[in-house]
Amino acid sequence: MRAVFVKTLADLRRRRLQAAVIFITVLLAVGTGMMALTLLTQSRDPYQAAFAAQKGAHLQVYYDGATSREALASTPALIGASSFGGPYPSTTIEFQHGSRKFSLDTFGRDNPGGDVEVLRITNGHWPTSNDEITLTRSFAELNNISIGDRLKVVSVAQRPVLTVVAEVVDIDEGSADLSTQHAWMLSSAVPSLTAPTPRSAFYKMDYRFAMDPSTSQLAGYIDRLRAGLPPGSIVVSLNYLLIRNIFNITNQILTSVLVAFSVFALGATAAIVANLVTGIVVSSYREIGIMKAIGFAPREVVAVFVLQIVTPALAACLVGIPAGAIASQPLLANSSHALGLTYEPSFSVGVGLLALGCALVLVGLAATLPALRAGLLKPVVVLTSAMAPRGASGSWLRGLANLVRLPQPIVLGVGDAFARPLRSALTLIAILLGVATVTVAIGLPRSFQKINDSETSSGNMQVIVTRSEGFPDSEVTRILAAQPETSRVVALTGTSVDVPGIGDAVNARVFRGDSSHLGYLLVAGRWFSTPGEVLAPKALLRDAHLKVGDAIAATANGRPLQLRVVGEVFDVSNLGHELFMDWSTYVQVSPESSPVVYYVTLNPGANIDAYMRRVAAVEPDFLDVQPNNTGLIAPVKIIDSVLLIVAVVLALIAVGGVFNTLLLNTRERVRDTATLKAVGMSPRQVLVMVASSAGLLALIGGLVATPLGVMLNRVLLDAVSYSAGNDTPAAAYSTFSALELLVVLVLGVAVAIVAALIPGRWAARTNVVDVLHAE
Amino acid sequence: MSELVRLSDVTKVYQGGVTGALSGVSLAIEQGEFTAIMGPSGSGKSTLLNLIAGLDRPSSGSVVVGGTDLGRLGEAGLARFRRDRVGFVFQFFHLLPNLTALENVLIPAQLKSRASAEAGGRRLLSQLGIDDVADRYPAKLSGGQQQRVAIARALINQPDLLLADEPTGALDTKSGEHVMTLLAQLHEQGQTIVLVTHDAKLATRYAARVISIIDGSVVDDARLETAERRPADVIRVRGEETAR
Repeated sequence: MRAVFVKTLADLRRRRLQAAVIFITVLLAVGTGMMALTLLTQSRDPYQAAFAAQKGAHLQVYYDGATSREALASTPALIGASSFGGPYPSTTIEFQHGSRKFSLDTFGRDNPGGDVEVLRITNGHWPTSNDEITLTRSFAELNNISIGDRLKVVSVAQRPVLTVVAEVVDIDEGSADLSTQHAWMLSSAVPSLTAPTPRSAFYKMDYRFAMDPSTSQLAGYIDRLRAGLPPGSIVVSLNYLLIRNIFNITNQILTSVLVAFSVFALGATAAIVANLVTGIVVSSYREIGIMKAIGFAPREVVAVFVLQIVTPALAACLVGIPAGAIASQPLLANSSHALGLTYEPSFSVGVGLLALGCALVLVGLAATLPALRAGLLKPVVVLTSAMAPRGASGSWLRGLANLVRLPQPIVLGVGDAFARPLRSALTLIAILLGVATVTVAIGLPRSFQKINDSETSSGNMQVIVTRSEGFPDSEVTRILAAQPETSRVVALTGTSVDVPGIGDAVNARVFRGDSSHLGYLLVAGRWFSTPGEVLAPKALLRDAHLKVGDAIAATANGRPLQLRVVGEVFDVSNLGHELFMDWSTYVQVSPESSPVVYYVTLNPGANIDAYMRRVAAVEPDFLDVQPNNTGLIAPVKIIDSVLLIVAVVLALIAVGGVFNTLLLNTRERVRDTATLKAVGMSPRQVLVMVASSAGLLALIGGLVATPLGVMLNRVLLDAVSYSAGNDTPAAAYSTFSALELLVVLVLGVAVAIVAALIPGRWAARTNVVDVLHAE
Repeated sequence: MSELVRLSDVTKVYQGGVTGALSGVSLAIEQGEFTAIMGPSGSGKSTLLNLIAGLDRPSSGSVVVGGTDLGRLGEAGLARFRRDRVGFVFQFFHLLPNLTALENVLIPAQLKSRASAEAGGRRLLSQLGIDDVADRYPAKLSGGQQQRVAIARALINQPDLLLADEPTGALDTKSGEHVMTLLAQLHEQGQTIVLVTHDAKLATRYAARVISIIDGSVVDDARLETAERRPADVIRVRGEETAR
C-alpha cells in the first residue's frame, strides 16, 4: 500500500493544476451544498422552538364585541382545547408617529405570560398604566419607533397620547413587512380607545391543543364554534399553519433554490472529476503498463487514480464545509431575529459529516468508474501505446467546417472539440448547468420584480392616502378630486367573507373605482365588471374546490352573498387566501361601509412630493399620505442575492469544466500540436485552434442550456408561486428577450474562449523539438 | 548549382546538458543536392536537421536557408518558413491520428491558403502509390504507407528543401527501401533532400554527399560522385565511430 501512496503523492505533485481544478470545483459545490443542508435542517427548528417556548396558539379566533363572556368562556371546551388565553378585549386604533399614521389591532392584556401566546419582551417593560403601549419588535424596527416614543391616537375624539414601553416578539403573527401587527395595553385601557362605531370592539381568544392539529381539524374546530355560538359571533380566525408558512416561506424558497443548485453543482463537479480521471487514464497508458509490469495489482492502479482525485477533494471539503456553514449563518440569524430568538451560531457535526460523506462518495464514484478502465488494461497492450487510441469522432464536424471554408485552424479546433465524445459530453454537462443557472439568475429576479410590481401597483398608482375613521369618505374624495394632478382614485377596504369549504374567514379586498388598471396579474379569466363577480388566487380556488366560472354561496357580515368567480388573480397575501371584489358587490352586505384607503394615480410628470405635502396639509390629523412603496420585500432581496451567488458559483464551475477539458485535450494532443507546428502552424493559429474547440463546446452547451434555463426558470417560478399559494401568471414568465438570450449565449462562448487562452498559450508555446524528440 | 543552406559556426547547447549539442558547425548545402548526415546516437545530427528546419534555434551562429536568416524570424515567421519552404519527414511519421491520410497531406496547404489543394494531394498520393488509402485513418495504415503519407505531406507545398530524420528507422527493410527509392526519385526530379541516418549503407547508396558528425562536430564531408572519396571510405569512418 505504501507504493500506492508514494505513487499518488508523486502524481499529485506532477498534476498540481488538475488537483487545483478539483479543489476549486469541489470547494464551490460542497460550500453550496453545505449551505443548503444547514438551512434545510435548521430553518424549521427556530420557529418550532419559539412556538413551543412561547406556547404559541394553534388557533386564534376574533369574536364580535357583542358576544357574551359566558359564551366565550365555553369555547375551549367546545373544541377540546388543552389551554387557552383570553378573552382579550380588542379594538383597532390609529395613531400618529411623526408625520406617519398607523393602524394596529390592540389587545387588552395585563401580563405577557399565560398558558398560550406568551409574549417575549425583548426591550422595556410591560405596561403598568393606561397610557402605555407595547409594540412588536418587528413593527418598531420597520417603522423606526423606539421605547419612550409617544404615539398620538387619532381614532378617538380624545386624542390620547400613549408611550411605547416595550417591544415584544409574538410567535402568533408574521413579521411586519409581511403581516398586519398587534399591540398590547392594559385591559382597562381598551374601552377608552374603542371608537363608538359598530363593530369596532371585539374579543380575541387563543387556543392550544395537546397535539398539533391538521388543517382539516382546525376547520372542524371553527365549524364547532360556529355551531355553538350565535350567528355572526366569529369575526375572523387565524391558525398557526398559516403563520408558520409565512415564517418559513423565505427559508423554504431559499432552501429549494440552494438544494436544486447544489445538486447541479455536485453534478457538474462529478462530470469534471470523471472527465479528469478519464483524461489522466487516457494519457497515462504507457505509465499504467509500467505500473502493472512492476507489480501493481489492478486495484492498486485504481487506487492510485482515485486517491489523487479524492485527496484534493477531501481538502476542499475540509475548507468548503465550514465555509458553507458560516455562509448560511446570516440567513439563520435573520430567521432567528424575526422570531425573537437569541441567535447562536449553529453548526451540526452530523450535517457536516453528511456533506463530507456525500461529496467524497460522489467524487470517489466519479473517479472510480473511469479509473477501473486503467485497472483492467493489459500491460502488454498499454506498454506499446503512449495513450488510448482516438477514433474518428469529430470528422463530420471538420467536414462541415471545411464545407463552409473556415480557416484550417478553426476546422481542426471544431473537430478536436468532439474527438473524445465522452469528454465532450461531460464538459457539455458542466457548461449546460452553468449557462442554465446564469439564465435562471437573470430571469427569476425579473419575474419577482414583475410580480412585485403587480402586487404594489408599481407605475399604476403613486400615492396612498389613508383616512382616519372619524373623517368622512366623501371629504377625502372631494379633496383628492380637487387636486389638478389627480388622474384616478381607486378606494378600497378590507372585509372578511366566509367561503364554503374554507375553515377561516377569507380576507376580501374591496375596490371602488376602476381597479382593473391597478396592474394585478391575471392567471386566468378576466377582471370583475358586474356586481357579484370576484377574483381569487389559486390556493383559495383549490382549497374551496372552485374554478373560474363557479358560483360561491358566501356569507359576509352575517348575510348571504352570492358570488361568481370570473378570474384567477396572482396575490400572495395570506398565501393565496384572498378575494378581490368590486364595491358594488360589497354594498349588498354592508351598505353603510366606506373605504379607508385611496390609491391615487397622478397625471404623468406630476410632482409626487408636492402633491403629498399639499393633500396631507388639508387634514393633517385625519389623512395619512404616503408614496406607494414599490420596493422589494426583504425575503425577495435575499433570494435574489442567493441566486446571484449560486449563478456565479455554477458559472465558475462551468468555466472550470471547460478549462479542465481544454487542458486535457491540449496535453493529450501535445504531439499532434508539435507536428502541426512542425508543418507550419503558427502560434496564433494554434491559439485559434484551441479557442475554436472551446467556443464550439460553449456554443452547443449554450444552445441547449439557454432554453433549458428558461424552462428551469419556469419550474422554479412555479414552485415559488405554489409556495405562496398561487399559479404563475403568464406575464411573469416572459422576462427574456431573444436578444438577451443571444447575449447570454455569446457571453458563454466568450467566457469559454477566454478560459481557453491559458491552455491555448501553452499549446502555442509547445517546443516541437522537445515533444517530438521525447518520442 | 546555387547554395540553399548555410550554417556558420553554429553551436547548440541544451539547457542543463550537452547531449545532442553542436559545436561550431559550418557547412553549406547546394540546391538539388541529396545530402545524408550520419552519426551515432546523440552525435547531434537530428539537432542539425532541426536547426535547418527552423524547429529549433542555435545557441550561437547563423542558419540561412534560401537567403533567409532564420535567426531573424520570430515564432510566426519560423512557422511560415516551415510551412512554405521546407518539408519534414519524421522517423515516427507523426501523422495526426484523427485525420485521414488525405487530410493529413492537405494540412500544410490548408494552413497556407484556403484554396483547395485536394487535387494536388490526391496526385501526390497517387505518385507515391498510396492513392487507395486516401480516406483511411493512420491507425489503419502500415508503417510504410504512413511514411509515404508523411512524405506527401512534406511535399504538398512544394518546398525548396525536404528534410528527413531517420525516415526508415521505424520501418521494416522492404518498406524502408521503398521509402528511400521514393526519396531518390524525388531527388532525380530536382528536389533538395537532407537525410539524417545512422545507416551508412543507406546513406552511401542514395545520397551523393555524406556528412559525418561525432560529438557535435563535423568530422567528415564526402561527395561520393567525386574520385576523392568512395563509399567504402565513408563506411570506414562509420566503423571508426563505432569503435570509439
